[in-house]
Amino acid sequence: MDLPTRIEQLKTGALPAIKAVKNKTQLEEWENKLLSRKSGQLTELMKDLKDLSEAARKEAGKLANEVKFQIETALAGKRRELEQSEWSAMIERERVDITQPALPPKERGHFHPNTIIQRELEDLFTSMGFMVLDGPELESDYYNFTALNIPATHPARDMQDTFYIKGHPNWVMRTHTSPVQVRAMQKFGAPLRAIVPGKCYRNEATDPRHEHTFYQLEGLVIDQGITFAQMKGVFQAVADHLYGAGTKIRLMPKYYPFVEPGARGELTCFLCAGKGCRVCNHTGWLEVMPGGMVHPNVLKEGGIDPQQYQGFAFGFGLTRLAMLKYGIEDIRLLESGKLKFLEQF
Amino acid sequence: MLLSFNWLKQYVKLPDSVTPEAVAEKLKLATVEVEKVERQGAQLENIVVGKILKYEKHPNADKLKVCEVDIGAEKVTVVCGGSNVREGMLVALAKTGARVRWHGAGELVELKPTKIRGVESQGMICASDEIGLSEMFPKKEEKEIFDLSVVIPAKAGIQDNVDSRLRGNDKLKPGTLLADILGLNDTILEIDNKSLSHRPDLWGHYGFSREAAALFNRKLEVCRTKDIKPGKEVKIKAEIKDSKLCSRYLAVAMSNIRVAESPRWLKQRLAAVGCRPLNNIVDITNYVMLDLGQPMHAFDGDRISEIRNQKKIMVRRAQEGEKFVSLDGKEHVLTPEMLVIANEAGPLALAGVMGGEDSGITSDTATIIFESANFAAASIRKTSVKLGLRTDSSARFEKSLDPAQCELALKRAVELTQEICPGATVASAVAAEGAGKSPVSRLTISVEWFAQKLGVKIDTKIIIGILERLGFAVALKKGILQVSVPSWRATGDITIAEDVVEEVARIYGYDNIPASLPSFPLTPPEPNKLRALERAVADVLVRELAYTEVYNYSFVSAAQIAKLGDDGARYLELDNPLSKEKPYLRRHLLDNLLENLHQNIDAYPVLRLWEVGQVFHGEDAGPRVAANSDELLPRQDTWLTAIYVDKANDTPFGEARRAAETISKRLAFTFDFLPPAKPKPWQHPARAAALKHGDRQLGLVYELHPRVAGNFGLAVRVGIFSLNLSALAELTGGAAPSPYQPVSLYPAVMRDIAFIVRTETTHAEIVQALQKSDPLIKKTELFDVFAGQGVKAGHQSLAYHLTYIHPERTLTSAEVDAVEQKIIKLLQQKFNAEIRS
Repeated sequence: MDLPTRIEQLKTGALPAIKAVKNKTQLEEWENKLLSRKSGQLTELMKDLKDLSEAARKEAGKLANEVKFQIETALAGKRRELEQSEWSAMIERERVDITQPALPPKERGHFHPNTIIQRELEDLFTSMGFMVLDGPELESDYYNFTALNIPATHPARDMQDTFYIKGHPNWVMRTHTSPVQVRAMQKFGAPLRAIVPGKCYRNEATDPRHEHTFYQLEGLVIDQGITFAQMKGVFQAVADHLYGAGTKIRLMPKYYPFVEPGARGELTCFLCAGKGCRVCNHTGWLEVMPGGMVHPNVLKEGGIDPQQYQGFAFGFGLTRLAMLKYGIEDIRLLESGKLKFLEQF
Repeated sequence: MLLSFNWLKQYVKLPDSVTPEAVAEKLKLATVEVEKVERQGAQLENIVVGKILKYEKHPNADKLKVCEVDIGAEKVTVVCGGSNVREGMLVALAKTGARVRWHGAGELVELKPTKIRGVESQGMICASDEIGLSEMFPKKEEKEIFDLSVVIPAKAGIQDNVDSRLRGNDKLKPGTLLADILGLNDTILEIDNKSLSHRPDLWGHYGFSREAAALFNRKLEVCRTKDIKPGKEVKIKAEIKDSKLCSRYLAVAMSNIRVAESPRWLKQRLAAVGCRPLNNIVDITNYVMLDLGQPMHAFDGDRISEIRNQKKIMVRRAQEGEKFVSLDGKEHVLTPEMLVIANEAGPLALAGVMGGEDSGITSDTATIIFESANFAAASIRKTSVKLGLRTDSSARFEKSLDPAQCELALKRAVELTQEICPGATVASAVAAEGAGKSPVSRLTISVEWFAQKLGVKIDTKIIIGILERLGFAVALKKGILQVSVPSWRATGDITIAEDVVEEVARIYGYDNIPASLPSFPLTPPEPNKLRALERAVADVLVRELAYTEVYNYSFVSAAQIAKLGDDGARYLELDNPLSKEKPYLRRHLLDNLLENLHQNIDAYPVLRLWEVGQVFHGEDAGPRVAANSDELLPRQDTWLTAIYVDKANDTPFGEARRAAETISKRLAFTFDFLPPAKPKPWQHPARAAALKHGDRQLGLVYELHPRVAGNFGLAVRVGIFSLNLSALAELTGGAAPSPYQPVSLYPAVMRDIAFIVRTETTHAEIVQALQKSDPLIKKTELFDVFAGQGVKAGHQSLAYHLTYIHPERTLTSAEVDAVEQKIIKLLQQKFNAEIRS
């Protein structure tokens, strides 16, 4: 057989064989067998070129190169194909169940729901330039009552509602955060913008709606020209912030000895959008914002001239806001220490 | 306080279109809190008086009858199974749309026209238990229908049922609503008493009518009474010994009294507003109080002794230790701050609070003395609080009542007595002491000022109109209002211009005041260091270390204190605790956290809890009692306490320390962990560290003493970390030193070293020795501690990563070897260490 025929023969044998190769080892064997520099079949054939006449050599050489190229292409193609299927196999082996949670579970801590709402409001008021103040929970009778225009014989000062301290008849557990109003006025003077979140105590039996220990957020704004309308504006800002822009509020008169005029603010029940539900007692309104214009007697106790300054004060029920926010049905859960409750927040 | 809508309408003629709900809503928006509006007999809608004209047997049923019933406007056919049906009988007929309880059981069902065994029935003749009246009118037998003609004898009429002022329109006519016949046509408004505490004028129906008249811009029907024609049988002399505590005292005697049950209208009026009827005289005093807001008292005249033909009544302070038995039979020991009504023999009544047992009305009383007086609010309040006697009377007097109303109330009581007790006569002249009127209180307010306070300009005419409707007299002169306060608002309620502003604002409507926002200078608020610190530590605990926050009460029990082994005498105590069990103020947060632990431990393998709160230390000085006082309140620092339990970890000290370390790093504030000077009884003495910064101890890391854990029923080891945030807040803040150092240009060499030393040898000692040994050692990091198998008793194996760096060049391994040899020698010499690698 002449060389070109042998080359053709080699090609006819080699290409299907390469195509049939099943793995990389076989592929390497074929590569060696055909193209190895030392003993490859094609290499060997090409060595015989030198024995041909120039014209025949040119022709056969061209054919040999073409065949070589075809074999090389076939080998490379096969290699890619094998690699591809190896990757596919590996990737398939490595498949994970993406629906499984990360393991082991990493525990997380929890803030008390009251803390969450307190922080929200602290951030809101701080952004409006209010100081955040604290005060003693064991207060003097003076700051808790007298300084707030509640003299000793005032009916608002009901023995039943106040915890007194044995051996110290003029010490009480503060019944509201309002004592800090006068402490703040005495310390900072006017103008003044502050809130006071904190723990309060009332001597009343507990049930799903009543707690002897609860949290308030007091607010106080004193300056020249502060008006009732502005208190309403601040209430609206809080309502918008907590329950979304456009939450309706309405104010009604309410008596507190330390404000005049006094008000209680209601806002549209955010659960039923004012239609009436169990939480709002089917009224469509939630009463959460009591406040009023600071009574001149209170300003005087704080060392501020009521002729020059006036202001408003309010005392939101933080505990109530937290209960409303999360739909907590029993106030006693908040101080129960029950983890099954706390770990939901 | 309960308010009867019918009673209200006696004084203010509201159009029918104004419903009780509308009145309640208006009161709520402008005056007081209305808690409930309840229609009496709401269940009796569409149930009317029916007269059975004739009846015949049902064609298809033996026990049923087909009745023709007159219900006023029409005649209806009704099928009925009643056993007592007769012609001419007056029955309760439920029309279509009424709601009844079939055979007295199950839910209320709305009646619809129906056919019963083929005969059309246009309603139902009811038994008393089918319309909720079985308590008032019990059935005598199973199939008995409610016979109105028996219950309300037609002849006696309803004369007896109606106040003389209302008489004349109700009759037992077919078609009349049953609720009207039974007097159940009222609507009761429940007012929140607390919202009334500043309004002495609203403690009776007349006052509320006056308010309603102002709110609805209607005329008030002024309460008018006949003058009292004095009698001569009895002489009464009243004497006020302390005019500060009693500004007005009126008394009058009436004879020929026959104590009996009150007429039905009176009983019904009282019952409707929650006052239990007793007898005609007591009921009259209560009625007048509920009507006019003026508490009254009636003494048994014959039980008040006479001296020289004269009944002398004194209003005086009680003597120290004086004894008094009140109407309810209880004995009280009085003090001079209390006011009594007395004669020579002793106290007859606790003024304004409660009458005495010895002078009270009995069924034999024939002569009475009515008292109508005004007592000082503060004294009444003190007395009632001190003796624990809260009465309808004291609740009113402690609001500072208008002395001008005493006379009206007395006249009304006499008039009612004469009306209800035929033959009763006025037996004395009216003894009157004290001034009937206070000087008129006037306030001067500029018109401008309303706008300055409220932020809305209200037309002057509207301002004046509102005030006049409320009974104020107003004169306007050059933009200045002269406002005279009506007597019923002048006892403390309206004293300053701000009070008048509120009156105008609330009637004008808070809703009509537009909201606006105040504008402030652009200054950032002064930061609250304690709060910033609280937040920082809370964030570490919750977000990094998975602790959960709890809120606990500030109160602890004697048992908790004893379990801790703490000294109970150091605790402040509540004078009037809610539960006798927990009367003490917490000195630390631990007590209740341990209870939290106990409560949750069964459900969790690992528990991490924390709380931040104030604790109360009576022995340390806290804030001032008042700005100008030297008396100090107890110190009330805010502490953080975190507790850690892992059932599989018997040395949770480490985890507790981790919390302290992590917080220290976050705050860039270092603590020294030193042995506490004197461990507390609840601290594990060998597992406790004081957190010190310089001389100040700021907190503790320790394990709960296992004995104390046992006392709390805990069979686990408890790691505890506590930190005084108040003290720390004073030290932190300002710029923290930068933790940054330039990264070394030359590579660090890391070598590990492990060795065995005696257990007593501390990490702190070793680190100190290593760091001092050579300047090339930049970092020493403990990474393994081991004792037990392979390590001889009383010893531990410690392993450290050591980092060597030269600031100016790359270290050679020969250099590091040399330092390492030096260290090994040092450890061997100083700590007798046995090197392991």
